[in-house]
Amino acid sequence: MSCARVRRDLGGYVLAALEPDERDAVAAHLATCPSCAAEHERLAGLPALLAHADGLEIPAAPPAVEERLLDQVAHERGRRRLAAAAGTPRARRRRRAAGGTARRPLRRGRALAVAAVAGAALGAGVTAFALSDGEPAARPAAGYELVLGGAGGASGRAALQPGRGGTEVHLWVKGLPPGGDAIYEVRCERAGWSAGAGTFRADARGRAYVVLTTAARLGEYERIRVVQGPDSSRAVLTGELN
Amino acid sequence: MPAPIPRAAAADAVLVDRLATDETGDAMRGLYRLYGGELYGFALNALGDRGAAEEIVQEVFVRAWRHAGRYDPGRAAVRTWLYQIARHAIIDARRRASVRPGLPLHEPSEDADGGTSLEQAMLGWQVAAALERLTPEHRQMVRMAQFRGLTMREIAEHTGLPLGTVKSRTWYALRSLRLVLEEMGVAPS
Repeated sequence: MSCARVRRDLGGYVLAALEPDERDAVAAHLATCPSCAAEHERLAGLPALLAHADGLEIPAAPPAVEERLLDQVAHERGRRRLAAAAGTPRARRRRRAAGGTARRPLRRGRALAVAAVAGAALGAGVTAFALSDGEPAARPAAGYELVLGGAGGASGRAALQPGRGGTEVHLWVKGLPPGGDAIYEVRCERAGWSAGAGTFRADARGRAYVVLTTAARLGEYERIRVVQGPDSSRAVLTGELN
Repeated sequence: MPAPIPRAAAADAVLVDRLATDETGDAMRGLYRLYGGELYGFALNALGDRGAAEEIVQEVFVRAWRHAGRYDPGRAAVRTWLYQIARHAIIDARRRASVRPGLPLHEPSEDADGGTSLEQAMLGWQVAAALERLTPEHRQMVRMAQFRGLTMREIAEHTGLPLGTVKSRTWYALRSLRLVLEEMGVAPS
């Protein structure tokens, strides 16, 4: 058996996929040919490694995680920047020890108030955060974050970013009835006016993270409401923009 | 057929290097799209819960972002580094679940931290990722022979390809796989 022929059969030999006569011929050649034996040596460990991958199919990377991840990093980056602007770590520690806060409101005049905050875990603070570098813009165009509160233990957080022709609403909710079929609707509202931003379901743990888009622009609405029910009448969560 | 050109591990290291300073999110997005799927598979397999696995994956990349400055490309490939972060995050999640019995995460197996089985699972997912890097034709040969236990002759019958093609494709597939694994730092013994 020629070396070229043996090389061609070597894959099948390593994977134990040759017919018995072919296998024996390759084995006999390997015993006498150091060059082919060396090539076999390079591949012989692969089946043991492949056995670990049996049944494993690489899933798609979940897009929602990508969104949450980018949001979290942008958020942490913004907080670091605020903390850095607020002074040295030592100054921050001193202020904290004195009961002060390390965060400095960016735009006190337009700071968002929180209505009906339930669930202290999320904190009652509301931060307007800049999404871009540099000084905050004079108009509150960069983005808002507000806490949503409601009855029945549900709580949430919304980040509002000016998007193409409206607002991109990032919504994090927890404490909803888990695993139900209920569809929740997000609405951007002011007195006598309401625009839908989309719908979502809660996961098996009563949580949801969604990115929705509404044609309503920042400044056109004063309140975010999450509603549910056949006529969308029941408010599950509410957060006010002042 | 030539072996695939290995994607330079250096390119991944550059992504990690850019993580800390990149304000656009592109470096993070790039890294996530390269490794998010397999790390999600690894976490889902280890924890058995989609929500928990998603949290782990998010945590892995956030930790990577926070500690990007400590990454040393001379010590480990980016993939290896991310898997190690994921392994720690999974162990942490299992510990948290064990003190909060309401969470139905998989029981720790074998040793206290599930360390041995996690190591094996990590290896498995990296090998699965290496297989994904092969051409579809090469991957098909390996899957049919290794995972379905078909002989070269049976594969030829099944696919309608000449037996010689099946054999040479299988050989090239294994050579490519070996190269990819070497590049990933997972060389067979």
